[in-house]
Amino acid sequence: MNGPIRHLAAAVFAAFAVLVGAVTFLQVIQGPTYRDDARNLRVLTGRAGAERGTIITTDGTLVASSAADPNDPQQFTRSYPEGSAYSHVVGYASIIFGSTGLENSQSAALVSDRDATISGVINAILGGDLRPKGLRLTLLDNVQQAALDALGDQRGAVVAIDPSTGAVLAMVSTPTFAPESLLGVNAGPAGNALEADESEPLRNRAIDATYPPGSTFKIVTAAAALEAGLAGGGTTFPDDEELELPGSSATIRNYSGEVCANGEMVTLTQAFVSSCNTTFGALGMLVGAERLVDTAEAFGFNQPIPFDLTALASVIPNASTFVNDLPGVAQSAIGQRDVQATPLQMALVGAAIANGGEIMEPYLVSQVFNSEGRVESEAEPVVWRRAVSPATAAALEDLMQKAVAAGTGFGAQIEGVTIGGKTGTAEIPDEAPDVWFIGYGPIGAADDTPQIVVAVVVEDGGSLGIDGTGGSVAAPIARAVLEAFLAGPG
Amino acid sequence: MTRSAEAALLVTASVVAAFGTALIGFTRGVGLDAQVALTFIVFVSSFGSVHLALRRWAPSANPYLFPLAAFLTAVGITEVYRINPSLGGVQRWSLLLAGLTASAVLFLLRGDGVAALRRYRFLFLTAGVALLLLPLLPDTWPIHGIEANGSRLWVGMDIPGGRELSFQPGELAKIALAVFLASYLADHHLAMGTTRRKIGRLDVPPLGQFGPILLAAGAAFAVLVYQRDLGASLLVFALFVGAIYLATGKLAYLVVGGGLVAIGGIVSYQMFDHVQRRVSAWLDPFADFSDTGYQVAQGLFALGSGSLTGSGVGLGRPDLIPAAATDFIFAAVAEEMGLAGAIAVIAAYALLVAAGFGIALHTRDLFRKFLAASLTLVFAVQSLLIMAGVLRLFPITGITLPFMSYGGTSLLANMTLLALLARISHGART
Repeated sequence: MNGPIRHLAAAVFAAFAVLVGAVTFLQVIQGPTYRDDARNLRVLTGRAGAERGTIITTDGTLVASSAADPNDPQQFTRSYPEGSAYSHVVGYASIIFGSTGLENSQSAALVSDRDATISGVINAILGGDLRPKGLRLTLLDNVQQAALDALGDQRGAVVAIDPSTGAVLAMVSTPTFAPESLLGVNAGPAGNALEADESEPLRNRAIDATYPPGSTFKIVTAAAALEAGLAGGGTTFPDDEELELPGSSATIRNYSGEVCANGEMVTLTQAFVSSCNTTFGALGMLVGAERLVDTAEAFGFNQPIPFDLTALASVIPNASTFVNDLPGVAQSAIGQRDVQATPLQMALVGAAIANGGEIMEPYLVSQVFNSEGRVESEAEPVVWRRAVSPATAAALEDLMQKAVAAGTGFGAQIEGVTIGGKTGTAEIPDEAPDVWFIGYGPIGAADDTPQIVVAVVVEDGGSLGIDGTGGSVAAPIARAVLEAFLAGPG
Repeated sequence: MTRSAEAALLVTASVVAAFGTALIGFTRGVGLDAQVALTFIVFVSSFGSVHLALRRWAPSANPYLFPLAAFLTAVGITEVYRINPSLGGVQRWSLLLAGLTASAVLFLLRGDGVAALRRYRFLFLTAGVALLLLPLLPDTWPIHGIEANGSRLWVGMDIPGGRELSFQPGELAKIALAVFLASYLADHHLAMGTTRRKIGRLDVPPLGQFGPILLAAGAAFAVLVYQRDLGASLLVFALFVGAIYLATGKLAYLVVGGGLVAIGGIVSYQMFDHVQRRVSAWLDPFADFSDTGYQVAQGLFALGSGSLTGSGVGLGRPDLIPAAATDFIFAAVAEEMGLAGAIAVIAAYALLVAAGFGIALHTRDLFRKFLAASLTLVFAVQSLLIMAGVLRLFPITGITLPFMSYGGTSLLANMTLLALLARISHGART
């Protein structure tokens, strides 16, 4: 009678063997797939509750910290004490919406090494510090807050840089958001609303949006002419109401729609100060597509900017696309047509002029310190590229100073301080213009006096809408930022 | 192996259980507390009473059965306690009751007790069928069925104080039906084993001999229809078909049984929404992740997160799986103790089943042989079905994992089952 029992037993043991095979397959071979599945709350809640490093500004303002749950020392809550002022720079590490900003790019330092990796275990055995590292940023809290306040309800961005080092002193994008609202497992509705918002509050407009630079691009056009020796400050051009573009019926007109100076001749200096489109259109055609594009690329266009955050590259079309297209060259020379720039790029254009023609690599993280506050690494200023010669830089410095003292940039004037700048009003047919100001100061101070370069962009003419201009909308914002910097912290 | 070695292993299992409780205490931040001592005392009392009963009334019984059960119970209660401490507390009292019940069974079957079981086979058949159908009692009666998670497999009994005592009669029915089958087959195996014709290479018994299988199929289908209990339905049917094959050695019964399962499966898939949901969750749990597939998918996440060595007891998140303490206790073990723990558990079940079949092989008396084999078979099928469900080899059947799942009736029934096996092994050669 034992035969059938043996057969059934064999079948049952075969089934147990299949179970062993299946559990091995699911836990070991398929295991990592299931473990890392986005819907596996273990990973999410583990990451959400992990300790992350402290982030402070250069003046010591706390902008991000993690606090342990009093009931569960393994669970941490991330908080951003300065609210939405640093949202775009610092970013967030959301379990649902991913990571952005420094929380993303610096996550190697900001998260604990206490994971189950072999290197972490060895490090722990050797007595290494596994707690997350902290970051000290180059930002100045009072400058950051001033930029945020000055932008107010307008959509736009401000980037401020120390031209001699590349340290970013302020980076603001509006509208902004409360980063805490994207954290936690219940952040879905709030985050979806932010993502769907037409004003794009989650976008860091300082680095992740490009705008036609408009007349601020005349700095580049002027630099191309000066570098090539094709024109100087005193070179004269005909002062017409409109510039006829060869080979097409299109024309370039000045913003006012009238002549720029006396209606006969205008010097390059006067054309820069008054931002004459006709003159710079003609200058662009004189310089030619090749030199114009080369100069723009020397300033950093058409290439990624080395930075602590990923920034969009600013764009000017290849010179070959302008063959037989002189109107395109003229329009590009005044920052229209297909020229597109990020606020960070235009801040670097200003920084090149303020720093004798050399652009320093921009950076946000000045120090990485360990959990006991000891500095582990410190950023060293690095030259990124030479944009123009010192002589050209000095000449442009002079032009920009005059543009503020007696031209379109008067809105940035500060009593007792020499400020240089250039306005931009990037016209879009039938729409309110995107308005710009690039400024810096103080000019002519002693070499050891700190300087600041500010780039401001405001979308759709800001509070003035269709009537907004770089001079009326963007320049006052730059002045507020410059004043905060000159006043110093506190 | 001797009874003393069995005692040492039972104490070791009790230490494992206490250690598990202590680990969870530390991960919960309460440290060593009275729960640890309580777990140890309950384990020693429960298995100790069984051990003493074996020494007194079945001294030459197989000594492997209860140590293996104690190990599985220790692992199971640790995970139940980890998922929900209050369920763990209840499970502890269930274990005490189950140990005392097993001891009582050993006492009742002392002397010629097993033979008495054979005589009262229709009492067991009636009891088995009644237990299976008990959950159909109307809700308003003092003893009434309870519907939970779409299935009606619980019975509640109102007790003084406005409280309710609930149990799963299906767990006990499988033992009663195994006793009936063993007794019936011991008398009828010759008739059922005779064959008059062949279809191909298959010996086919007379049509009339298929009566019991058709009866079982009908009962199983009734359970599936009225109680929507896929697990009990399959278990009862597997028990009938398997036991008849054991007694006759005729493949025809397995073929016909398998055919009936296939037909029943297709028909019930067409007819019943709850069967369709189980099957679609099995075929692709991620297709309807947030609804039907959620439980199976969470089980897979637990398995994947556990990896080789597990998260550590108390450090995983098995509480994220719906019904983690009952249907998915195996996933909880696999998450927190890893592949190592999961394979140890499967090995323990395989060893228990091996011991059970070994007892059947070495028993001369036909009734006892069939009873041991049937009980072992139903235990094996139950363990395999639910673990296969967690591992996505089979749809989730909603039956308990013996000794590990939370549930007093299950623990009590399986301890009773082991007591019967132990008693049979004591008298193996008589």
